[in-house]
Amino acid sequence: MTDYDLTNNEKKVLLALNELETAELKDIVEISDLNGDASMQAAFLLEEKGLAKVDEESFELYGLTEEGKEYAETGLPERQIIDSIDGETPLEDLRASFSPQLVGIATGWLLKKKWARIDDGVLIPSGSAPKGQDEDVLSDLYENSLENNTFDPVFELPAELASDKIISDLLKRKLLEKEEYTTRKIIITDQGKAYASEGIEITEEIAQITPELLKSGDWENKYYRPYKIQKPLKPMYGAKSHPYQRLIDQMRQIFLEMGFTEIKGDIIQSSFWNFDALFQPQDHPAREMQDTFHLDSRSENPDKYVDKIRAVHENGGETGSCGWGGRWSSEIAEKNVLRTHTTSVTVKYLADNPVGPVKAFCIDRAYRRETIDPTHTPEFEQLEGVVMDKDMSFADLLGCLKEFYHRMGFEEVRFRPGYFPYTEPSVEPEVWIDGLGWVELGGAGVFRKEVTTPLGITEPVLAWGLGVSRVAMLKLGLKDLRELYQSDIDWLRKSEIGKGI
Amino acid sequence: MPVITVDSKDLETLSGIDRQKIIDNVSMIGAEVERVEEETIDIEFFPNRPDLYSVEGVSRAMKAFFGMSPGLKKYTINPPQIEITIKKEVKDVRPVLGCAVVRGLSFTSASIKSLMDLQEDLHWALGRGRKKVSIGVHDMTGITAPFTYTTESPDYAFVPLDHTEKMTMTEILEKHAKGVKFAHLVKDMTKYPIIKDANGNVLSFPPIINGTLTTVTESTKELFIDVTGTSKEVYTALNIVVAALAERGGIIEAVKIIDESANKKESETILPNLEPLVQIIAQEEIETHLGFKLSADEVIQSLAKMGFDATLISKNPAAFEVLIPAYRADILHKYDVIEDVAIGYGYANIPAKLPENYTAGKSNPLSVSRLAASEAMISLGYSQVMPFTLTSEKIHFENMRRPVTNDVTYVIHPISEDQTMIRTTILPGLLEILALNRHRELPQKIFEVGEVAVNAKNKQKIAAVSIHHAANFTEMSEVVDAFLRETKTEYEIKESDDPAFLPGRVADIYVGGKKVGVFGELHPGVLTAFELGYAVIGFEADMSLIF
Repeated sequence: MTDYDLTNNEKKVLLALNELETAELKDIVEISDLNGDASMQAAFLLEEKGLAKVDEESFELYGLTEEGKEYAETGLPERQIIDSIDGETPLEDLRASFSPQLVGIATGWLLKKKWARIDDGVLIPSGSAPKGQDEDVLSDLYENSLENNTFDPVFELPAELASDKIISDLLKRKLLEKEEYTTRKIIITDQGKAYASEGIEITEEIAQITPELLKSGDWENKYYRPYKIQKPLKPMYGAKSHPYQRLIDQMRQIFLEMGFTEIKGDIIQSSFWNFDALFQPQDHPAREMQDTFHLDSRSENPDKYVDKIRAVHENGGETGSCGWGGRWSSEIAEKNVLRTHTTSVTVKYLADNPVGPVKAFCIDRAYRRETIDPTHTPEFEQLEGVVMDKDMSFADLLGCLKEFYHRMGFEEVRFRPGYFPYTEPSVEPEVWIDGLGWVELGGAGVFRKEVTTPLGITEPVLAWGLGVSRVAMLKLGLKDLRELYQSDIDWLRKSEIGKGI
Repeated sequence: MPVITVDSKDLETLSGIDRQKIIDNVSMIGAEVERVEEETIDIEFFPNRPDLYSVEGVSRAMKAFFGMSPGLKKYTINPPQIEITIKKEVKDVRPVLGCAVVRGLSFTSASIKSLMDLQEDLHWALGRGRKKVSIGVHDMTGITAPFTYTTESPDYAFVPLDHTEKMTMTEILEKHAKGVKFAHLVKDMTKYPIIKDANGNVLSFPPIINGTLTTVTESTKELFIDVTGTSKEVYTALNIVVAALAERGGIIEAVKIIDESANKKESETILPNLEPLVQIIAQEEIETHLGFKLSADEVIQSLAKMGFDATLISKNPAAFEVLIPAYRADILHKYDVIEDVAIGYGYANIPAKLPENYTAGKSNPLSVSRLAASEAMISLGYSQVMPFTLTSEKIHFENMRRPVTNDVTYVIHPISEDQTMIRTTILPGLLEILALNRHRELPQKIFEVGEVAVNAKNKQKIAAVSIHHAANFTEMSEVVDAFLRETKTEYEIKESDDPAFLPGRVADIYVGGKKVGVFGELHPGVLTAFELGYAVIGFEADMSLIF
């Protein structure tokens, strides 16, 4: 025979049905010892398996409204009027003895039922006013209500008592109240009967492991109800780190593994550290108001370096360079800016720690006066790494870059000449990205003597920087940089921890 | 950075190199091909190489790079036939002048455009918007030497380029397109610089506009070039322009410049001066800086590819005399020459290596505290966000019902009214993120550990907010308690009058007797200011006093 793989609940319902053949839910509840919901659910499952059938039947129940109750006692307004007069009566007189509203209601129905007509303000009875079905309905419901001690809509109206038209008129007159009910009848099928006749055994099944079960030792030899393991799930999202932070921390980890010290610095920097110490000429376009956020404050130039920085800008100082020429203004160098790159932090760190070996990195926010659009934001993360030691060379820089990018997951790296005012040689590393080709990913170089000598640094300094948000867009598949900073919480919930790693 | 549009046919003709070969290789001398069209190539060059800002410059560099014309390019200069005098008056306003004549030219519309583009790019790269350098080129047909560089009063009139009527210099500055654009460069002058010929005809009103008399057309055969300015870059710009014209077959002729205010010995200069600069560089310096061994021949050949002449002047230790072209603006130091050795050798051929020095990695304490605090908050069901740090008084104070404080850093020229200051607290930024996520499912719980600037110094703070229909003070008290327990911080709470929160549902957090933060139910006035439709609870604390 077919194994229907019934749950205990289904078995209990089927047994009840086998007894009742056709049942209402309440009857099943009584026999099966299950609650209503569980019984109904099991009944539906039995129907799916062809062992039972669930028939739905809907019907209407009626009761009297307050007004309907009143008219059941006193008669409908038109009945009251017609019974009260003998012959032609002016409406005027009627309004005096009944209320004008009642007369108003009554006249309409008197005409409609053809119990009377009106001529020039005078009501003329037709002489015939048979009791209508509507009056039968009212009195029937009234009696039922009194008998059952409730005026709620709980009574069926026998079909022979009134036509649909009569009932809808009474509903429209707001004399009746109606409620619709659905009842379900559950009927065992022949298949169900056949199955039940073979005997249904109810074995105890465990839904939930409980402390009692474990303590008592009863857990052995029990039947544990299996779950439908393929059932579709509602996704659950946990709290997590920002995907961008995860990427930044990945880069941080790479530097730490490569033996670098992590450094931090202030957002607000003097032009001295942001530009002048990096041999950025004072009339360089990047220093202008349209590219850099200037502040209404100043910082004193460090006495220790100011003369040397002046000399290096004006004539190269002791570096063997010819400098930029012109006059270097100490006042311009004092002006504070929002750091335009994290190099301001690393160069200050090198000045404070001028003897190698030093390996340091900084991943932090930098600021440029960019209008916000999908690929530009006025603040963005920058990564910066420096290596200072005797015997460091351009070839070591290329090696560091390759190692770093490989660890970032970019397998193919190539180098193009680049230009930055503070490095020489300068290089722009490019990485190969499938679908995009060679993508420029940062800049690097060996710090110029014009940068290192005035700060008392005698060893070569290798430096590289990277726009982190650019990598984030590539790795996180973003089209709009703003998504990093003004994040859609739905995106945060759904972005996988494993993405980009 | 300047993007040069090159007529690819012109470039092929001039260089004799296939355009695809140039497209494929030009980036290896320091450039980026931006766009390739049917007839043109857009190439972006670096700001330190203005000598490449023309078809002629690119052609010269490529011919050297591919070995068709390696080494220093020599240009012949014919002796001067023309004189120009720098009057004393002009010394106070725009003192530096360089001039040259180029004869035997034949222009096409493409080559005129290349010359005009070169001028504009030099104005940007060397001239800083014509301030330090401005260039005028003149058809010599209608003018007569000798010339004079002098000044005129603002009501002096002549017919400027692109006009047919005389205008006074004042009118030019007020009405002529170029005049309006560059008027700021002469605003402090009482008399304006001017170059005139022997008959008083105006060549140029530098740095504003040329006279119409010397307009260059396709029939122009001979050019007079003036470069005026305030610094030595004037001479570099002059060299770049004449060298470019010579690449096209022009014959350079010097100009004698007589400076009235200089002493006798220095009063006469013959320009242009295309004599190469000389650097002596030891081979060891090259090898140390670049980090690999090269033979003397390799050094010489690498430099030749980049347009330098190098000769071995001593063998043990090896040293080179390097001749640097006079049109190169970027050679400030011998390391700039060493870079060109590397570029000529090819970055791809350099054996990359890893430094062998040992160092131990070390986290910054601020990162250690950020990571610990983040773990604590994530474990409490809060997700991390990373809002902008630039904000406005409206968001930061007004929306928060808080008075403006005096520890704020403002930017002088904000881009928009939304970004006028650096935040001193994090909470407003979190509320903005909630506002952007009104349509997303609740509850939403977010936090940030981030930096703010208080009195121009960075400070690390933590803040968190939670929005849902039943968010209340008790919930946030428990979060704060759990966070501070996880971070091993003993704390006390005291009554708070922070106006951002609902009175009676707000508390200050104290650690070691010092106030470190605040938490509670955000004030309904704050919620409506951020257009939030449910209760929000939050906290913010100074991390430096917790960790």
